[in-house]
Amino acid sequence: MTDDIVYLDFAASTPVDERVADYMRECRELSYGNPSSNHAAGRRSRALIDMAAAELGALLNVDPDTLVWTSGATESDNLAIAGAARHRAHRGKHLVTMPTEHKAVTDVCSMLENQGFEVTWLEPDDAGRLDPTVFAAALRPDTQLASIMYINNETGVIQDIEALGHLCRDSEVLFHVDAAQAVGKIPIDLGSLPVDLLSLTGHKFYGPKGIGALYIADRPGCHVEPLLFGGGQQRRIRPGTLPAEMIAGLGRAAKIAADRIEDDLEHLASLRELFWGGIREVDGLLVNGEFDAGFPGILNVSVADVEGESLLLSLEPICVATGSACNSQLQEPSYVLRALGRSDLEAQSSIRFSFGRPTRSEDVEYAASRYVTAVQRLRSLAPGTAA
Amino acid sequence: MTTGPYSATVRGLFADLEHAGDFEGATLARIDDQGVRIQLAAGHENGLLRTLRFRAWGCPHLLAACEAFCAEYEGRPASDLGDFTVTEILRNLSIPVEKTGRILVLEDAVRSLGRSICDGSVPQVS
Repeated sequence: MTDDIVYLDFAASTPVDERVADYMRECRELSYGNPSSNHAAGRRSRALIDMAAAELGALLNVDPDTLVWTSGATESDNLAIAGAARHRAHRGKHLVTMPTEHKAVTDVCSMLENQGFEVTWLEPDDAGRLDPTVFAAALRPDTQLASIMYINNETGVIQDIEALGHLCRDSEVLFHVDAAQAVGKIPIDLGSLPVDLLSLTGHKFYGPKGIGALYIADRPGCHVEPLLFGGGQQRRIRPGTLPAEMIAGLGRAAKIAADRIEDDLEHLASLRELFWGGIREVDGLLVNGEFDAGFPGILNVSVADVEGESLLLSLEPICVATGSACNSQLQEPSYVLRALGRSDLEAQSSIRFSFGRPTRSEDVEYAASRYVTAVQRLRSLAPGTAA
Repeated sequence: MTTGPYSATVRGLFADLEHAGDFEGATLARIDDQGVRIQLAAGHENGLLRTLRFRAWGCPHLLAACEAFCAEYEGRPASDLGDFTVTEILRNLSIPVEKTGRILVLEDAVRSLGRSICDGSVPQVS
């Protein structure tokens, strides 16, 4: 964190924890060998990877052998959905997901749709939640996979993964969960949670970028076909030389998260409450998602009569995310907020504030003050308002 | 820190919109189009634009363009408004081409203001 910015975009990425960075520096000295090599240097790298798998496995309560290393959640999502779809094509070509999923899910589902798969896109309610009865009604004998994200990256809405997972088990449907925003942030016990495939990435919970993992449950029929070819690593599911130093960093981030998760949640809840207290009197505020039942690290708000892009620039040097078209690479208002029934203008004016472990109370108070001032200024500039 | 989608000029103008507002006695030219809203207010004397003010709802590029117009045309002959184009503003402010449509709303507003002045509907500054 530098002094010239206030970073409130932890849902996009988190800074690497200093302990993780220190550990990765130590590992760099040890991990130059190819972990697939049987000589001493290779075995040292392999040992670091095994240690990381144990640390991540402990966080999720799974056997480390069920973890496949990837380049991040996007690859994990692609591998899970496309890989499972190809492996289970004999069962049918029906998939179930939501339009509010991350693009790493919706785009691969659309790609499969173009290849002859049928995708049922389930609409959320106004708060962004998926009703399990709606989900159950969508599952068919030819449904081979359902993919639902744990915590929505834009709104912080938490889906009832346990209920949805049981419905999948009852219907013998593979259940994939994009947990990029959830792993290391909320307790996840895959020993009891009925999830078959789970995607995660290191940089969302204070680990390095460029490394993630896919959990593949050790159950009959739960398997994915590879998307990459060229080696026997990771049981041929995801070949390629493993980056031991990066994996070690992810593992250490997982270990730290396991120790801190409850404290982090309490910290985030207090920050969000403090921020909300600072802005709640602004006329025309609209919370996108669920305040009480949502993930406390994310607060997404729209505001009436204010243009989103100007609001975003007015907030600088506060780093936040927006549903405004002009500052996204998509050049369209947030499709997630549109799926929640928000108008283009409401989506345009949305700002996602996301808090993190290093966020201080004074950061949040400053951001709230700047937000209120910016809204007042922009409204005063608009035609039809008082001078 | 990089300037991102905004040039330093846009950032400077957006931070200090000296000509934002309106004033008593001005007749307004107002346009709502392309998802943006612009209101221009002018006072003139002896054929010269003495005071220009704007109100706008839109992106930073639009607000900066409105400010740049007011700063540039205050003190110039009112007859210049009829020839106004946004070409120079688009270039000077490095406005992305995809925003041209919105910025052209300013051109429409300025020309509308020019016509109003020619029609005598904008009161003279006393």
